[in-house]
Amino acid sequence: MEILVDLFGSGAPNCNEFYSFSGSSPVRLFVPACRPPLPFDLFCSPCCSSGAAASTAAEWVGTAFSFRRRRRPGKLRYHDPTNCEDGGLMAKKLLMGNEAFAHAALEAGVRVVAGYPGTPSSELVETVAALHADGSAEGVHVEWSTNEKAALELLAGAAYAGARVLFTCKQVGLNVASDALMSLNYVGVKGGTVLFVADDPGPISSQTEQDTRRFASFAKVPVLDPATPDQGFQMMQAAFDLSERYGTPVIVRPTTRICHASTFFDVAESTQARPVPPEGFERDPRWVIFPRRSFEAHGEINDRLSAIAADFANDPQFAAFNPTFRGGGVEGAQASGASDDLPRFGIVAGGVSAAYVLEALRMLETHAAAAGKSLPLYAFWQVGTVFPFPRDKAMRFLRDVSGSVIVFEELDHVLEDELLATIGAAASDPAAPRPRIRGKLDGTTRDRGENSVEDALVRLATFLEVPELAGLPKKAAAEAACAVDACAGGSRFAYQAPDDAPLPVRPPVLCAGCPHRGSFYAVKRALGKTPAVLCGDIGCYTLGNAMPLDAVDTCLCMGAGITMAQGFSVAEPGKKALAFVGDSTFFASAMTGIANAAYNGHDVTFCILDNATTAMTGSQPHPGTGVTLMGERRRPLSIPRVLEALGIERIVAANPLDLQASIDAVREAVAFEGPSAVIFTSPCVQLFAPSARAAIDVDACRGCKKCITEIGCPGIGFNADVRGPKSGERGQAFVDAGLCNGCGLCVQVCPFDAISVGDR
Amino acid sequence: MINILLAGVGGQGTVLAAKVLAQAALEKGWQVRTAETIGMAQRGGNVVSHVRMGSDGEEVLAPLVAEGTADVIVAFEPAEAARVLPYLAPAGVLVTATTPLQPVTAALAKHAYRAEEIVGNIAASLEGSQATFVPVDDAALCSEVGGRKALNTLMLASALSLGRIPLSLDDLRSAVRACVKPRFVDLNLQAIEVAAARA
Repeated sequence: MEILVDLFGSGAPNCNEFYSFSGSSPVRLFVPACRPPLPFDLFCSPCCSSGAAASTAAEWVGTAFSFRRRRRPGKLRYHDPTNCEDGGLMAKKLLMGNEAFAHAALEAGVRVVAGYPGTPSSELVETVAALHADGSAEGVHVEWSTNEKAALELLAGAAYAGARVLFTCKQVGLNVASDALMSLNYVGVKGGTVLFVADDPGPISSQTEQDTRRFASFAKVPVLDPATPDQGFQMMQAAFDLSERYGTPVIVRPTTRICHASTFFDVAESTQARPVPPEGFERDPRWVIFPRRSFEAHGEINDRLSAIAADFANDPQFAAFNPTFRGGGVEGAQASGASDDLPRFGIVAGGVSAAYVLEALRMLETHAAAAGKSLPLYAFWQVGTVFPFPRDKAMRFLRDVSGSVIVFEELDHVLEDELLATIGAAASDPAAPRPRIRGKLDGTTRDRGENSVEDALVRLATFLEVPELAGLPKKAAAEAACAVDACAGGSRFAYQAPDDAPLPVRPPVLCAGCPHRGSFYAVKRALGKTPAVLCGDIGCYTLGNAMPLDAVDTCLCMGAGITMAQGFSVAEPGKKALAFVGDSTFFASAMTGIANAAYNGHDVTFCILDNATTAMTGSQPHPGTGVTLMGERRRPLSIPRVLEALGIERIVAANPLDLQASIDAVREAVAFEGPSAVIFTSPCVQLFAPSARAAIDVDACRGCKKCITEIGCPGIGFNADVRGPKSGERGQAFVDAGLCNGCGLCVQVCPFDAISVGDR
Repeated sequence: MINILLAGVGGQGTVLAAKVLAQAALEKGWQVRTAETIGMAQRGGNVVSHVRMGSDGEEVLAPLVAEGTADVIVAFEPAEAARVLPYLAPAGVLVTATTPLQPVTAALAKHAYRAEEIVGNIAASLEGSQATFVPVDDAALCSEVGGRKALNTLMLASALSLGRIPLSLDDLRSAVRACVKPRFVDLNLQAIEVAAARA
């Protein structure tokens, strides 16, 4: 089809006007050559990129332009940058922090994105993949690598060639990639290299409360720490610039509340990855790490960190991430006896704590105003560029505070340490600032877990000596929140329930019909009273720990169950040692441990829980699925063939939803002397729509609860009020039709044949 | 500033409801932030969404609603309403669906989970306060709508009908059209009509 775009006729288009077209044949666009070139651009999405759109009017006018074949209807947009009120080709979207960071990196021209899933980081890679799939992100390669180390090393190669690259993981994922990172910083990079590492204060869904800001200083890599998703968006783009300016990897470290908070963003409708520079990878001794070269590189790192610290303090692009202001009133300053208008109080905050502190200050100010007062004069600083610490900026801030400084940060006392070091380094100077630093180290702020507005409110009220609250430092945070909230008239509500009827809890459980339930149950039944240690691992199947399955004795880190079981077998040879590992974890970090068992001849049994996905983090593909994020289908890597190649001599397969066959399989593997494996294969219930469901025969159910107490499926409940011929006054089990997927495990557990599976 | 808390169980549409409210706020020209609990909260776990709107043009900073400051709580399940009670502002409004969703632990517990007891306890907990408690007979309303799929929109409409926050049912309709998958728009609009007729 052909579209005539009459840009210069009487019906000249408004800026950002759309021309829509549909169909699957190539489109020809004709712009009549009737006027001199004007400063406008034509953009077409999703079939052509902003790169093509960067053509100037002169190139478009009078030409017929063929778009390449596209899969879906597209649109053409007229844009006049000199006469545009809304900033051009931007779309306003409600985005979660992680989604926004993906857009930010794509707008910065990122060419290769790789990572390994882990909450709260996973959505970034998924967003890049989705934008690539719908055609709006052109030229980008995105993948889930087998683990974090594989991802970072792949990216290192691409960055040496000059591509802009982005790595993503959760905090513990950086531990896996740390070997690569430590050396990569010595070697340096050519293309902008940004590591997006999401920390998880709480922790809400992690093994540790480790602090990536600390990791950054250990690795001597700059780190940026956003207070809001909006600031994180800016930081992500600035990080690429910084990386290329100094040839260093740069870490952007948000936390869960930034990653998973949403707000509206203006994002580009289409993006184009920056091309790799024409010269590509240039051979040079610096790419080969050697002790002598590392000594030189260490000096270069030290030099660039000094320069970056100065940039963080003084370069407007980065200094903007370190906003400071003064708040509080003049009366307050006088009342607190400060002289020369210097604030007596300093408040320093990092990450989301800065947002919490600002909210709390606003509440305190409202409260003070209601009483006709104002807060004492204070100085505030959000430290967005944590390492290398902008010590110049810190000196300026500290000189401005006459009394003490309180530090709000989550996880470690990183900012607090830096402020103490700043003061200490200047100690010999009689004119040096000497405010007292209050924070985690002296118990003024929380030493672990998340901060909150409520918590900041109480601590700030005490710190700033707000009269009504000063005497109440130990009072419950929420009580104080109500006391200072302008609209408050009483204390916080609490649900009052009788002691014998607490609220029902909803702990995370394996889904109804989850195949892992059958695997764990079969292992327990097969072992019976045989003494055994059951080593778990990271994934949904950690939940096998819960009652009534109670089948996970240990959980350490990715892949550790495989090797820990070997340690148990050495230390306690009288016990059987088994390890559970999921299919994604198998490829991520179990294979070296399995090789170790074969090599050193440990008598252990590996239970591979193959549910054909990375279920815990949201059903990501992995090498065993053969599906990639770029939409390709490859031959899946075969777990049994890998086990065989790694030297496992007894490998038994079972369907975990077939109870007796699974029990037999476990017995056979456990009886084998030496390393053995049972592969339980059945897909995750999130991957398919259920076609069947179980039903309870009210005439046969005896109310014994065995279907509940043995396997703990959320699809089965118990109704004490139901009466049947065999259940007497006991009540009966019932099936939650909305949850049950008809896996049939309960049918095999019921001793009275009271459960059957039929069509939904 | 308007603080809204949405509480439900995985699969009830809590997160979509937060998106709808955010869209409504955007159309008003307000700054808005939302946050949700995801991660370990699998299907069957509880989900809380926080929605904060700068309705007077003020800047919204923190993504989470502080305890004691929720102007409106919309709960899609009575036990979840009880769980988030500490977030309610002293003069806030708590609107909850009354149909219970039994967790697996309730099947093993000694004391049966009875929704009417929980609703009664919430009412007792709020007695004598300035807060407003509105239990909604969602079972009856959903059967009028023709299914429970639009429970989230039904409950939002029930909450907005109370007029406590400056968002109208028309604002809600417009946001639903922008956020909900096209094939479910009519069902959700129908849910708004049913809720409006009862209000």
